[in-house]
Amino acid sequence: MTAALVLDGVVKRFGNFTAVDGLSFTVPDGTIFGFLGGNGAGKTTSVRMMLDILRPDAGRIEVLGRAPSRANARQIGFLPEERGLYRLMTVLDTVVYFGRLKGLAAADATKRAVALIERLGLGQWTCIPLEKLSKGMSQKVQLATALVNAPRLLILDEPFSGLDPVNQGILEEIVREAARDGATVIFSTHVMQHAERLADRLLLLARGHKIFEGTQEEARARLPPRLLLTAQTDPSALPGIKSTRVIRDGGDGWRQWDVTLSPGQEAAGLLQHCTANGFVLRGFELARPSLHDVFVHLMGGPLTEEKP
Amino acid sequence: MNRILLVARRDFRQVIATRAFKVTLLFVPVMLGLVMAATSFLRPPSTVAYVMADAGGSTATAVERRLKLDYQRQVLRDLSAYAARWNLPQPGGSRYGYQADDTAVEDFIAQGGAETALKGMHPPPDATSFKPPPLPYVRVPVPKDVPVDQGPAAFGAAIAPYLASDIQTPEGKRPLAVAVYVASGGPARLWTNGRNGNALIDTIQEERTRQLRLALLSANGVTPVAAARIEGIEAPLLVTAPPAGGGRSQLVVRSIVPLVLVYLLLMSSLITGGMMLQGVIDERSNRLLEAVLACVEPRELMLGKLIGLGAVGLTILMAWIGCALLAAFSMEGVVADYLRPSLAALNQPWMLPVLAFYFFCGYLILAMIYLTIGSLSNSLQDAQVYLMPVTMAILLPVMLMVQASITNPGSWLPGVMSWIPIYTPFAMLARLGGGVPAWEMAATGLLLAAFVALELVLLGRVFRASLLSAGQPLGWGGFVKQMLRRD
Repeated sequence: MTAALVLDGVVKRFGNFTAVDGLSFTVPDGTIFGFLGGNGAGKTTSVRMMLDILRPDAGRIEVLGRAPSRANARQIGFLPEERGLYRLMTVLDTVVYFGRLKGLAAADATKRAVALIERLGLGQWTCIPLEKLSKGMSQKVQLATALVNAPRLLILDEPFSGLDPVNQGILEEIVREAARDGATVIFSTHVMQHAERLADRLLLLARGHKIFEGTQEEARARLPPRLLLTAQTDPSALPGIKSTRVIRDGGDGWRQWDVTLSPGQEAAGLLQHCTANGFVLRGFELARPSLHDVFVHLMGGPLTEEKP
Repeated sequence: MNRILLVARRDFRQVIATRAFKVTLLFVPVMLGLVMAATSFLRPPSTVAYVMADAGGSTATAVERRLKLDYQRQVLRDLSAYAARWNLPQPGGSRYGYQADDTAVEDFIAQGGAETALKGMHPPPDATSFKPPPLPYVRVPVPKDVPVDQGPAAFGAAIAPYLASDIQTPEGKRPLAVAVYVASGGPARLWTNGRNGNALIDTIQEERTRQLRLALLSANGVTPVAAARIEGIEAPLLVTAPPAGGGRSQLVVRSIVPLVLVYLLLMSSLITGGMMLQGVIDERSNRLLEAVLACVEPRELMLGKLIGLGAVGLTILMAWIGCALLAAFSMEGVVADYLRPSLAALNQPWMLPVLAFYFFCGYLILAMIYLTIGSLSNSLQDAQVYLMPVTMAILLPVMLMVQASITNPGSWLPGVMSWIPIYTPFAMLARLGGGVPAWEMAATGLLLAAFVALELVLLGRVFRASLLSAGQPLGWGGFVKQMLRRD
């Protein structure tokens, strides 16, 4: 599989502050790639370097097989974190303008803009100046400016911030559609639920450093496996158990235990051991850790500041 | 379409759609109209009335004759200027001269005055018609209710109300400027309305003095004929003056267009600079620059803005110049008289390209400064930190220089300022009417071009580096550091 984006040892400093420090990762073509990290992690700086808005102090970046430059704009769609539009321009003019800046011919840009505006439910606002639109509608227009060139690489910087749940759902669907159409989608977020629902692969950034890169399963594997056991006997003595904690009293001597396994220990092995040794169980449930849990664990502190 | 032109077109279209642009466009024509209307409305009446109670009658006759001669002398001068302007033969050939004496003026009157003279001059059909100047003083009879035979006190008391208002004359109602009471053998008493009668008072005094001298000469044994000859003698003056609009006045007249262009350059650059500043601050505060910069290079954005708002400035300029020309050519009189010779300054084939060069450079210098200030500021309040000193540093010396050029075209100030690149376009525009040596024009032009190029590079660096910066505005130290930092 070819790579849509490659960062290799990228460093970016602002004076004495190092915003991105030796960052390396690869985004395979056609994937939805979650770019995760808290505020000040270096996500926006990295995105700006991918787009050639900023130049790295060291390292190499390759976007769609080429060095970052405006020549790539024809194949890139970008939704910045800080959003704004020309207040006096109409919806149609705005989308056409960005289409043309990306190299589309006037007729082509207009045709695509009209179709996108309709698809995003803004048809009746086509010739209305943006200053008369609500914030949610303006954000849709901005999304249209990112999509108007049917990009091969869609870069969305905190795309869900400021959107209500309905529009977040619409945006998630648009991201999936773009991926289905063959686009590579890179989105930065600090809300894990979006990443959990969308991302094929993830990258976690903290203070400019890469903390993790891989699939969601690989991320979850970083946490020791946990089980929810319902038994009358304390399971602490079973082999491969790291710790136990009672979380609920079920009556008649039954209790529910939150069990953390030792690293490398598999849940199936424990179940087999219980069955073979007559350890009576009423419940055996694998507790799948959320990405939030994983990243709290990896970061050593909370990450999410905003609920989806 | 090139991305620079796309940015330029967007900025141009956005600005011309605003109400502020339309107001700016109409500003000069409306102001011009208002000034003309106000000037016409507030101008003091050109003809005023006077009354004279002269028991003897000799003073009144002498004053009337003097006023008539002085007026016809002025008519003769205006006619001479008219002839020069339309390349016609001078009235009465050259026998009247610039400073016609009383005999010449009397001859002019006797020949039929302006009317007859014009017939001999044969003005072409496209020439404007000659309008003689308005009569400055017209004598009206003493009102019936004002006693002329009860002494000056009664006359003064009765005439006072008339001096406070207008009085009927053959020219219509006019202010009564002066009332004169000449007692036989006594001093002349005058009452004025305090505004319009100074020249008339001088004339009355001169004529009364002449009468007293004549009386004195006669009393000392000089015959009346000899006394009159002595009093009537005038030293001959042969004045050689350039035609109207020529000579030193030609320097001023030929400088009108360039000086007007200095003002226009200043105004249009400051206006478009302000728009540019506002636009960049809006883009920064609206947080849309990042999306734009993903598609266009900062350099392209900068050039696009310079071109787009330059086109706005040019549109404003063309509209203003068009309105001014339309107004001037549709009018007759002083403005039109001066405008034609002043436009002659543009007759040189090199003049228009040179004007365009200075205009272009002047615009770039100011626009680039404003663009950079916009890129450094999060709000207009932030921008004021830079804007005030920069605007004052440009505006004050330029205004001083324009003033110096008007009052003294040979002033050293424009010459010195021609060599300071930031002022070169203004100084050279101001000097063009008076002629500038070719070597100086070439040298200052090269210096200016180099300065503009350097400014684009250095301020371009600040613009690019500051576009997406946040937080406190850059201090002067940081500003210099950004300028010197290579990309």
